[in-house]
Amino acid sequence: MTLNEALRLINSSRENRAKEAPVVLLCGFQPLHLDTFLQAHAVERLAGERIQVAAGLYGDLRGNIKRAVQANATTAALVLEWDDLDPRLGLRSSGGWTSAVRSDIESTCQDALRDLLELIGQLATKALVAIAGPSLPLVPLGHTAGLQATAFELGLQQQVAAFLQEVSAISGVRVLDPLWLARASPMASRLDTKMWLLAGFPYSAKHADILAGGIIDLLYPASPKKGLIVDLDDTLWSGIIGEVGVEGVSWGLEQHTQVHALLQQMLSLLAENGVLLAIASKNELATVERGLARPDVLVSREAFFPVLASWGPKSAAVEQIIRTWNVNADSVVFVDDNPMELSEVQTAHPAITTLQFLPKDPAAVWDVLSRLRNLFGKPTVLAEDRLRTASLRSGAEYQRASAVASGGFLPTLGGRVVIDYHKDPQDKRPLELINKTNQFNLNGIRVAEGDWLARLQSDDTVTATISYEDKFGALGKIAALFGVRQGQEIRITSWVMSCRAFSRKIEHHTLESLLRTRGAARLRFDYCATERNQPLQQFFAEIGIDASSPSISREEFSIAPQDLPHQVSETPQ
Amino acid sequence: MNDIQTRVSQCFANVFPGVAPADLPSASAESLARWDSVAHVTLLAAIGEEFSLDISPDDFDELTSYKLILDYVENHAN
Repeated sequence: MTLNEALRLINSSRENRAKEAPVVLLCGFQPLHLDTFLQAHAVERLAGERIQVAAGLYGDLRGNIKRAVQANATTAALVLEWDDLDPRLGLRSSGGWTSAVRSDIESTCQDALRDLLELIGQLATKALVAIAGPSLPLVPLGHTAGLQATAFELGLQQQVAAFLQEVSAISGVRVLDPLWLARASPMASRLDTKMWLLAGFPYSAKHADILAGGIIDLLYPASPKKGLIVDLDDTLWSGIIGEVGVEGVSWGLEQHTQVHALLQQMLSLLAENGVLLAIASKNELATVERGLARPDVLVSREAFFPVLASWGPKSAAVEQIIRTWNVNADSVVFVDDNPMELSEVQTAHPAITTLQFLPKDPAAVWDVLSRLRNLFGKPTVLAEDRLRTASLRSGAEYQRASAVASGGFLPTLGGRVVIDYHKDPQDKRPLELINKTNQFNLNGIRVAEGDWLARLQSDDTVTATISYEDKFGALGKIAALFGVRQGQEIRITSWVMSCRAFSRKIEHHTLESLLRTRGAARLRFDYCATERNQPLQQFFAEIGIDASSPSISREEFSIAPQDLPHQVSETPQ
Repeated sequence: MNDIQTRVSQCFANVFPGVAPADLPSASAESLARWDSVAHVTLLAAIGEEFSLDISPDDFDELTSYKLILDYVENHAN
């Protein structure tokens, strides 16, 4: 966007000071247009809501970070430039570029990066931090022509790369990929020499726009898609398996079908990261199973659930898969080589994302792989992500078993519920649950990571993360609850449970434990009906919580531990 | 109001959204409290972008009112 477009977007956004999320912009230069573009991209990302950008002092990046730590900042954008490491690497210094000062510049940079690493570590205990490394060209201080790198310049770049690698490993820190930035904003158009000298702002408006967009996406990422449905013939592999047979389909360099091997590797990676995979194929199921059982397939058969093969419309198979996964169509991606199948599915499920796999066009395949990374990418992969497909599979077995069992099914499961009341800023799972769960959700309110970290600092906050396992397998951490202690009451502000854990009375166990162990005489709920939280509404009705004044006392909650089906343990006791 | 004047006014409105359109032609760094150094740089960058002008550092210091900016654009814009 242009600077004028950014200004207009900000001016047309909803001004609601009370709701504006505060973001600290940490840089050593004048923030000028970067501030403007950050606000404008936030308006776009947050559906018209504004952020409030606070910048620090000119030329004092380290001091600005220290002040952000002291001020308990919750969300920070740190934009580093070479002259933050040593002013001689900027255009507003006259400290010299001769060989005599180079070793001093190297050691000054080393010291600065060491300090920054420590300060960012402190900041990240309280705030979500997005970091962009130096993105401007180095000043022309090499003895070579510009195309020949010097050991000095490569050394500086190596120092920064090592620094970014270290900070990227800190929980709560997200680093803008320099290669992404290189693709989006060519080096030659990043610098605005006049504005740097005149106003202390070094970036062209175009570069500031791209940089700000990247930072806002790091701080407020789009919700990742959850599941991918893939076709087989000429998509997962080359060839029509029903015609050429199991040994006739291919994915390899020798057969010039390597693009299918690339897709298989991508799917294997996505499965490892917790993405649900399923197959929708027009084939005989027995043939499909034989194809998937070939030992050289690069994605494991277990990664796919369910595998549907029939001669019916693909949209019906997609419908069945979405129901099995219990997700919404808008969190699903469908990949097929056939434009007619894509169109048929898209018409029946308008919210689904469809991608055409064009095996004869390797550049288009590369684009599909890149899009898949972007659609499913998430800042952190949690242990629960890796359990998801296995627990869906065991969930299907659970449903079958519960359907044939007569009363008293739950106590036969050998279920174990662990309710963890520790406040752990390193554990991102509760926040992930709150921000992606729709059905069993107290109010649908999403929580920014910075706010969540700030809440954990408070002594009055009560948190509970609930894990579950039974004879069908472990579901992992499937529920989270946030509350605030107010005298004899706990006011529950967030409460969510994954749909994978429904029908096991885990929600009953949770309330029973809270009232028994947390010293609260009454639980009060920040409840709000949403379009999709009927399971929560039904639970409230079942245990007699009045939706117009949602609360329950120890006396009113009439379920004793022995009336509930599972073994429960709490940490701390 | 000609096309240039309309576009200059729009840039002013982008940078000073609270100023009534009728008050813009009399706006200056002296009369508008919000016309500080940051607003000045933003305004001239917005003008430069709108008219594809590369405003020189010397001119930056001189362009301190709506009228001066309008004159400058009328003399320099293609």
